Amino acid sequence: MRMRTIKPWWVIAAFFSGLAFAMFAEELILSTQESRLEFAAPRVHFLVGKPLERLRNASEVPFAFKITLWSGTRTHVMREVPARFVVSYDLWEEKFSVTKLVTPRRTARHLTNDAAEAWCLQEMSQDITGVGATEPLWARLEIRAEDSKEAGLPFGRGNITDSGISLTSLIEVFSHPAATTQPHWTIETGPVTLDELRRGRRRG
Amino acid sequence: MRTLLLTGIFAVVLPIGCAPFPDGPSDDEAGPTNVNTRLIVESVQVVGQGSAKISDPLRSELGEFAGKNFDQPLLERLADRIKQELHAPEVRMQVVKGDMPDHVIVNFEIGAEREKRFDLDLARFLYHSTQGWAGQGHATVNIHENAFSFGMVSDGDRLNERYAGIQAGFERRHMFTDRLQLHFDFSSYHEQWNDATLLDAAPGDIYRTRTQFSPTATVVILDPLVVSFGVDFARYRLSLPVAKTESSNAVVSTLRYHQRWGSDKDQGEHEVRASYSVRAGTHFLESDPVFARHAADAHYRFRRGHQDLSIGFLAGKISGLAPLFERFVLGNAETLRGWNKFDLDPLGASHVVHGSIDYIYRGFLVFYDTGAVWDRPDQREQKQSLGVGCKKSGFQLAVAFPAKSGTVDPVFYAGMNF
Repeated sequence: MRMRTIKPWWVIAAFFSGLAFAMFAEELILSTQESRLEFAAPRVHFLVGKPLERLRNASEVPFAFKITLWSGTRTHVMREVPARFVVSYDLWEEKFSVTKLVTPRRTARHLTNDAAEAWCLQEMSQDITGVGATEPLWARLEIRAEDSKEAGLPFGRGNITDSGISLTSLIEVFSHPAATTQPHWTIETGPVTLDELRRGRRRG
Repeated sequence: MRTLLLTGIFAVVLPIGCAPFPDGPSDDEAGPTNVNTRLIVESVQVVGQGSAKISDPLRSELGEFAGKNFDQPLLERLADRIKQELHAPEVRMQVVKGDMPDHVIVNFEIGAEREKRFDLDLARFLYHSTQGWAGQGHATVNIHENAFSFGMVSDGDRLNERYAGIQAGFERRHMFTDRLQLHFDFSSYHEQWNDATLLDAAPGDIYRTRTQFSPTATVVILDPLVVSFGVDFARYRLSLPVAKTESSNAVVSTLRYHQRWGSDKDQGEHEVRASYSVRAGTHFLESDPVFARHAADAHYRFRRGHQDLSIGFLAGKISGLAPLFERFVLGNAETLRGWNKFDLDPLGASHVVHGSIDYIYRGFLVFYDTGAVWDRPDQREQKQSLGVGCKKSGFQLAVAFPAKSGTVDPVFYAGMNF
């Protein structure tokens, strides 16, 4: 019986493809700054595609952010923090402006694309006073671009006309899942402890 | 020397200070979230199919935006109004840099109608507590400028007969020019009759089946004035012991007017629809009954904010002997609501006058109808009715009360597009 051997170049190809995947995978990076847990996601870009198209057409685009933290075990949700940001793009300066909708509002102006994205994440930092140094932590970041258009409503404008209800339009609306019309991003990281983060070891 | 030094320092520092460096976050701001609100609208333009049809008030409102700060929500509302006024499937707002610094040009692009190759429509649906159910649905196949439709209908509301059967049609929307359209409509029905009608009718008046074929042409004379003309060939099998088929072949002609102006934002939106039609059954077309049917109707509608006022008027006259399906009926879900049409005239009438007022506030509807049907002048008696209900997006649900002495006999109805 003849033994089949694995060619060495297959091993090398598998290694490099794994490495490439790891390098380009979207990741959530955690770090600590005194008693605050900070987030960064340099490979996640939400000011792209349709939202960017709307921004470059002078529209403002609201984004919904949500940070979820688990501590101890993955089933124990320590905190869920939602926030809303409104991004706009100055047509003449070609710079972004971001407003966090809290009271009082916080606004950053004259930002580049990357800086605007980073500012939103900075604003999501969390106070972690009371969290044990060796307690495992998991974190998830969800981002959704919101669209105020009502085209997705089953009885929205356009589906009812003078000639009656267009059943075809309704079928079309229901055949598309909501997720496909709403740009969204979800990234997670963990488990990681505060000790590890303070030692400067970042987990992806 | 000191002055020169200071001037030099200012000359270097001042431009650096004014350059758009990233700002740190600033608190306590309650201003607009869109940074483009600082920009000034240089001009507003509407481009695309039908842009020339925009009403004068809306056009002047568009012009008023020039010189003002960019306001996205207001401009989006304006796009909605253009879409409504032109019945456009889509109006896209494109904002581009203007010729002057910090100015923008707003372009509203009217999207071309996306052709639906296949469409299903529930064109009409109604439940009436004394007349039962009525419904009409269509399937349409569009191939370029041609539309082929097939539908089914069962209606016991519009006429004094319940007709149920099939409808088919062909429409050519563009015949050499946008101003000319062709229609071919075919229908085949089975009839059911109310006892009151059977009691009053002569044996030769009642038919069991009816088939109609109607080729017509529509010409846009001078927008918004449209004229349709053609012929209507109807054959109906009488309910006699000896089967007999008669024909009612008529020349048909209709003049229509539809105009809308204003906006529902400030001064209110006005809409007028009016039509006059004549149908003449003639021996020239080998018609058995010879008649002339004249009908005129007009509707005025005023909308402002949550308020909606409609006033309707209908008048008609038939000379000669027309078949029952041509005769005028009052006392259904659209006219003299609350009255029973079989009590008013079980055979339909040769004369009609009707008026109605509907007022809707936030979907809450109140209405008043008045009218009369008669064959001879001594039969003419004005009837009135009142009703309340709700109406939203084509759906309607209402209770109507005939204004008469004696028992109060309310009629309930619910449905869509009737």
